[in-house]
Amino acid sequence: MSRELTLDPRVDLGRGLLLPNPVGVASGTFGYGFEFEHLVDIQRLGAIYTKGTTPLPRAGNAPPRVAETAAGMLNSIGLHNPGVEHVATAYAPRFAGWRVPVVVNVAAATVEEYVDCLRRLEIDGVAGIELNISCPNIANGLDFGRDAAAAGRLVQACRAATSRCLIVKLSPNVTDIGAVARAVEAAGADAVSAVNTYIGMKVNLGSGRPVLPGRGTGGLSGPAIKPLALAAVAAVRAAVSLPVVGVGGIAEPADALEFFVAGADAVQVGTANFTEPGAAIRVLDGVVAYAEAHRLGRLTELRAVPAPQPA
Amino acid sequence: MRRVPDRLRRSDLTRTVDERGEVVAVDELDGGLVELSARLPLLAERTLPGQFAQLRCGPGPVPLLRRPFSVAWVAGDVCAFVFERVGEGTRRLAALHRGDPLDSLGPLGTGFTLPPAAGRVLIVAGGLGCAPFPLAACWARRSGREVTVLSGAATAARLYPPERYRRGDGGISVIEATDDGSRGHRGLVTDLVEAHLDASVVALWACGPNPMLATLAGAIGRADAALLPSVAEASLEAPMGCGFGTCLGCALPVDDGDGRRWALCCTEGPVMPITAVDWERLRELPPAHVA
Repeated sequence: MSRELTLDPRVDLGRGLLLPNPVGVASGTFGYGFEFEHLVDIQRLGAIYTKGTTPLPRAGNAPPRVAETAAGMLNSIGLHNPGVEHVATAYAPRFAGWRVPVVVNVAAATVEEYVDCLRRLEIDGVAGIELNISCPNIANGLDFGRDAAAAGRLVQACRAATSRCLIVKLSPNVTDIGAVARAVEAAGADAVSAVNTYIGMKVNLGSGRPVLPGRGTGGLSGPAIKPLALAAVAAVRAAVSLPVVGVGGIAEPADALEFFVAGADAVQVGTANFTEPGAAIRVLDGVVAYAEAHRLGRLTELRAVPAPQPA
Repeated sequence: MRRVPDRLRRSDLTRTVDERGEVVAVDELDGGLVELSARLPLLAERTLPGQFAQLRCGPGPVPLLRRPFSVAWVAGDVCAFVFERVGEGTRRLAALHRGDPLDSLGPLGTGFTLPPAAGRVLIVAGGLGCAPFPLAACWARRSGREVTVLSGAATAARLYPPERYRRGDGGISVIEATDDGSRGHRGLVTDLVEAHLDASVVALWACGPNPMLATLAGAIGRADAALLPSVAEASLEAPMGCGFGTCLGCALPVDDGDGRRWALCCTEGPVMPITAVDWERLRELPPAHVA
């Protein structure tokens, strides 16, 4: 017996970016999608947020680059990527043939560089831009993300440079994430994603040194950060009325549902992709099944943290 | 004159499958080595010698990451993996019992290359570097090559048993070395290479700790070019997040004609041409134990 579906899974992130469903895959955990093409049906995803893409190709940091921690992992990849030109010429034409929207994550060192990248990405196949102002693993990667005024100026310049949906990925490594969210909302962001990795360190007592090289720190991700990320999403939800994309430690459908309770409009599955290539699809199926079982029309009906009323 | 480096290859992810298998046996070998075998029909059918699988060490988030293991041998639809208990993940795998489920993502990475020429394959295995070679030796024999395994370890107890390399094939000759002289040559396994590297060798395959591989690379660099086989490959290790080229965590230093760069152990390795690896920089890195 067929049953009418109650759920409308679509999520409008603004400026024409209508996600077919709320479960996407986080930047840095899914490459540019190609590695997963043969393992899972990537076209079922709500969105692919690409590896952080920089103005020029980057070779990345010296190894070791990853270290496992309790229910999590640290990474210090250093934005190893082929550069915006390669993404624009070699990858975007392939994205254009996909049903899944591809949001290109962009990282740069100066306002001018961000603007140049965004202009280069005004092409078919690029469904939106996720502005990475929160990479903890490159010099000055956090400069924009830690200062609400600087983040606002950057987003204002980027707003003028792109016609696409502009999502700003917030850093949790700040005192007041709500203040940064308000600044980027005022500057014209269409949505925010929360959160990027938490700065962490693992020490090898045998060598008497941190496991990761350089400063010894990396970005912590995985189930270990889920409670922190939920709190950050709730803080952002209370600060802005923009759509919020929740990310941090989602590995199970219930994890994703918790993010909707905390105020998210959509979610990203991240580190779980490394251990289970089909994790995001399984999370999506579980979320939809839950919504149907509870006769939800929209997942935002789960929300327990209200957004502020627009002035 | 420096030999022109061979180019790195890329793995074929179209053959990779996320498969739930079933443990057949967990064999305790001497010296702390563990041989885990599991019914994994798709991996057994698809894997090439030198490729690896990412094994899940339990259902929960601790330990979070899968662990990469070379496929040690294949018998019918059963695949085996050799490791020692180095950390939480390998301890859990060693504690599995017959009939337990085992999740494998594989085959992953590049495998060894067998050139068309007839002749001998020389295998150099140090410590846990034995892991890929029962399968690789068997493949070379089935392809009509003679096989000599130079097998080294710290002590006799820690040598992978020669009969497990041979798996019933008397045509596989195993010559041993131990650091303490408790069996075979007293000293390093690389001491044995010069005596066994002659014009009949068409392929040299190696796996072991980075210092061993670097020593081998140095010996190849100094050897008479006329004696060098057309294939000289090493299987390497690096701390790994995903195993299929996405997390970009398993960088290794290489120089394969495009200049010095980082290559991913999981998709441009683990088997790399020995001449393409930047051994000087690799020596400076901490050892990468699969824990």
